[in-house]
Amino acid sequence: MDFALFHNLSIGFGVALSLQNLMYCFFGVLLGTLIGVLPGIGPIATIAMLLPVTFSLSPISALIMLAGIYYGAQYGGSTTAILVNIPGESSSVITCLDGYQMARQGRAGPALAIAAMGSFFAGCVATVIIALFAPPLAEVALKFGPAEYFSLMVLGLVGATVLAHGSLIKAIAMTILGLLLGLVGTDVNSGIARYSFGIAELSDGINFVVVAMGVFGFAEIINNLEQGEAREVFVNKVTGLMPTWKDLKDSSGAILRGTALGSALGILPGGGALLSSFAAYTLEKKIGDTSKFGKGEIRGVAAPESANNAGAQTSFIPLLTLGIPSNPVMALMIGAMMIQGIAPGPQVMTERPELFWGMIASMWIGNLMLVILNLPLIGMWVKLLTVPYRLLYPSILLFCCVGVYSLSNAPFDVMMTALFGLVGYVFVKLECEPAPLILGFILGPLMEENLRRAMLLSRGDPSVFVTKPISAVLLGIAVALLLITLAPTVRKTRDVAFQE
Amino acid sequence: MKPWSRIALKSVAGLALALVCAGAFAQSYPAKPIRLVVPYPAGGPLDIMARAIGQKLTEAWHQPVVVDNRAGAGGNIGADLVAKSAPDGYTLLMGAVATQAINPALYSKIPYDPIKDFAPVALVAQVPNILVVNPSVPAKSVKELIELARAKPGALNFASGSTGSTGHLAGELFNTMAGVKMVHIPYKGAAPAMADLLSGQVQLMFDNLASSLPNVKAGKLRALAVTTLARSPAVPDLPTIAESGLPGFDLTTWFGLLVPAGTPHDIVVKLNAEIVRALNSNDMRERLEKMGAEPPPDNTPEHFAAFIRSEAEKYAKVVKASGARVD
Repeated sequence: MDFALFHNLSIGFGVALSLQNLMYCFFGVLLGTLIGVLPGIGPIATIAMLLPVTFSLSPISALIMLAGIYYGAQYGGSTTAILVNIPGESSSVITCLDGYQMARQGRAGPALAIAAMGSFFAGCVATVIIALFAPPLAEVALKFGPAEYFSLMVLGLVGATVLAHGSLIKAIAMTILGLLLGLVGTDVNSGIARYSFGIAELSDGINFVVVAMGVFGFAEIINNLEQGEAREVFVNKVTGLMPTWKDLKDSSGAILRGTALGSALGILPGGGALLSSFAAYTLEKKIGDTSKFGKGEIRGVAAPESANNAGAQTSFIPLLTLGIPSNPVMALMIGAMMIQGIAPGPQVMTERPELFWGMIASMWIGNLMLVILNLPLIGMWVKLLTVPYRLLYPSILLFCCVGVYSLSNAPFDVMMTALFGLVGYVFVKLECEPAPLILGFILGPLMEENLRRAMLLSRGDPSVFVTKPISAVLLGIAVALLLITLAPTVRKTRDVAFQE
Repeated sequence: MKPWSRIALKSVAGLALALVCAGAFAQSYPAKPIRLVVPYPAGGPLDIMARAIGQKLTEAWHQPVVVDNRAGAGGNIGADLVAKSAPDGYTLLMGAVATQAINPALYSKIPYDPIKDFAPVALVAQVPNILVVNPSVPAKSVKELIELARAKPGALNFASGSTGSTGHLAGELFNTMAGVKMVHIPYKGAAPAMADLLSGQVQLMFDNLASSLPNVKAGKLRALAVTTLARSPAVPDLPTIAESGLPGFDLTTWFGLLVPAGTPHDIVVKLNAEIVRALNSNDMRERLEKMGAEPPPDNTPEHFAAFIRSEAEKYAKVVKASGARVD
C-alpha cells in the first residue's frame, strides 16, 4: 500500500513537475488569486470563459490550470474581505467578521498572512488526505442521504445563533429572515413558484452572491459614505505586516480545527465546502477565550480560511472518484474532462493514473506557489488602503457589479444586489448582524429540500431521522448545543460571550 | 408610361434589389461577432458542445462566436431572449428538448412560442438516456424490474434532476406503459440524484448515458436498457426498453441550434452548412461518440423543424399523462 502510494506520487510529481505543467499551474493559481481578489468575479465565469482554450491543451495541463484557478480563488478571496469588508468569494463571507476588524486595528498584514498560511497548511493536509484516502472517503460521503443532510443542517442552524455578537433575539430574527429569503424560487417537489411575483429571474431563487455582496459589500460602502470625510483612516496604524509569534501560537489550534472540519465537510457532495468556513468559525466561537470574536480575533480569520481551502480541495474527491460534482465549479471541471474524452468516474484513477496523481501532485505544488505568491503581495494589498476612498470605492463598486453580472449574465442580479445593499444598510442602522442571515439563507433551502426528500423516501415516516445512526448523532449534538445555549446555569457565560 | 406599369416596374426593381441585398447579406455574413445563447449554466454537455461548435464557427468565419450562458426558469429565460432578438443571424440559441418541446407543455405560462418564434438551423446531438439501477435492486432486466414493481407496489423510487426533465418523464412514461407505480424523487440537478442512486437511497434513474456509463463499467450501477427506440452504438449490447416489453417506448435528450423566426433563409442555410461540416469533423465526431450521441444523417433545417414539431406533439401527451407541471 505504502509502496504503491509512493509509486503513484512519483508518477504524479513526474507529470506535475514538467515545465509545461508547472507553467499552467502557475498561470492557473495567479489568475485564480486575481479573480479571487476581485469581488464577485468568481472561478465559475473565469473557467467557463477559458474552456475553449483548454480544448487544444493536453487533458492534464488543462485540468491542472483549471484546478489552480479554483483553489487560487480561495486564497485571493480573503483579501478584499479583510481589507474592505467585501467578500471576494462566497467562501470568504465569514472572514469579513474578524478580518475586517483586524484591518481596522491596523493588523491587515497579519490577518492576510495568517489567511495565506492557514490556507497553505490546509491545502497540504487536504492533498495528503486525497492521496491516501480518496476512494474510502467517497464511500463515507455516500452514507449521507437526505435524512443525514437534514440533521446536519439542523445542527448548522442551531450553531448559527452563535455567529451573532449582539442580541440573541436579533440573531434569531436574522436567521429566520435568511430562511425566508431562501424560500424564494421554484419548489423542487411540486414545481410551484414561491414568492417570485411572476418574475422569471426569481423562479430559480435569489443567488447567494447577490445577497452576500449586497448586505456585506454594498451596505459597507453606503455606511462609509455616510461618514463623509471623517471616515476611518486605519492605514497609519499599520503595525508590521507579518504575524507575531503570539499570533501564530493563538491561531495554530484554529488552523488545525479549521482544516479538519473543512476536509470533512468538503467531501460531502452537497456543497459542504461553502458551509465549512461557517462551521469552523462557529466551532472557534464555542471554545477557549471567546471575548475577542467580532473585534479582530485572529482565530476568527485562521479557522474559516483554513477550512474553506481544505474544503475546496477535498471537494475534488467526489469528482475524481465518483464523477459527481459537488459544486458548479466541479461541474465545469467535468465538462472540461468530457471535452477531452475522459469520462469522470471511478475508473479515472486506474485507467488514467497519470491524470489523477498528476493533478494531486499539482495541487500541492500549486499551494506552495500560492503561499510564495501571496506573502510578498501582502505589502502591496495593504498599500491599497492608502488609495483615497473616493477612488477606491467607486472602483470596488464597479468590480462588484461586473462580478454580480457575470454570475448569470443578468442585469436583474445587479439590481437585486443594489436592493440588498439598501437592506444591508438598514441592518447596519438597526445593529443587526448579517452573518446569521447568510447562514439561514444557505441552510434553509437545503434543509427543506432534504427534509421533504427524506419524508418522500420514507413515505411520510419521520422516525428515519432518529433510526439512521449518523442522523441521530447529529440531531443529538444539535439538541445538546441548544440545551447549553438555553440552560439557565450557563446563561451568564453566554451573555458574556454574546456581549459586543 | 401608365401608372400601373410604373408601379409594376418599381416593384420588380424593388424585388430585384431585395434579392440582391439578401444574397449580399448572406455573402457578407457574418460581419460582426455572433452571440450563441446557452439557456443553461456552463459545464453541461449542451454547454460544452455549444463552445466546441462556437470555436469551429470562429475558425471558419474569423468572427468570434461568444457563448452567453443565460440560465434560469428551466431554460425559458435564454430561449425567450433569442425569440425576441433581431432575426439577423447574430443571435443563436442552443435549444434543447426542454426549451423547444417539454417546457411549453410543462409550464403554465411560457413567454415564447417554441415553434413560431424560431427558425431551426441544425440538430447537434441526440443523446440516449439509460435506465440504471443500484446493484442492490435484484432485477437484472426491464422485465424483472416491472415484475418487482408489480410485486411490491410503491417500494421503488426513481430519481431525476428536476421536475419535467427527460429523466422524470421517462419514469412517468414507464409507470404508465407498464402499469406500475414507482415514486418520483426530484433533485436539484442530476449530480445529487446520482449520489443518492449510487448510495442506494433511491433505486433507479433514467440518466444521461455519458454520465452513468463510468459507474456502470465500475460495477457501482447496473444498466438495464436504453430509452431510445434503437440501440445505441455506444452500448450495442444494452437492449432498448421498447424491445424489453414496452413496445414504442422512445425518449431522447437532444439539442440543436435555432435562430429567431424571420432570419433570412440564406443565413439559415449558411449556418446549417457550417454546423453540419463542424459536426462531421473527426474531433467533433469523437466527442459526440464519447457522449453516446450520433450526428443525425439528414441534418437540414427542414428535417430539424419537422423533428421539433413531432417532439412537441409527443411531449404534450407525455407531460399531460405524467401530471407534472411547473408554475
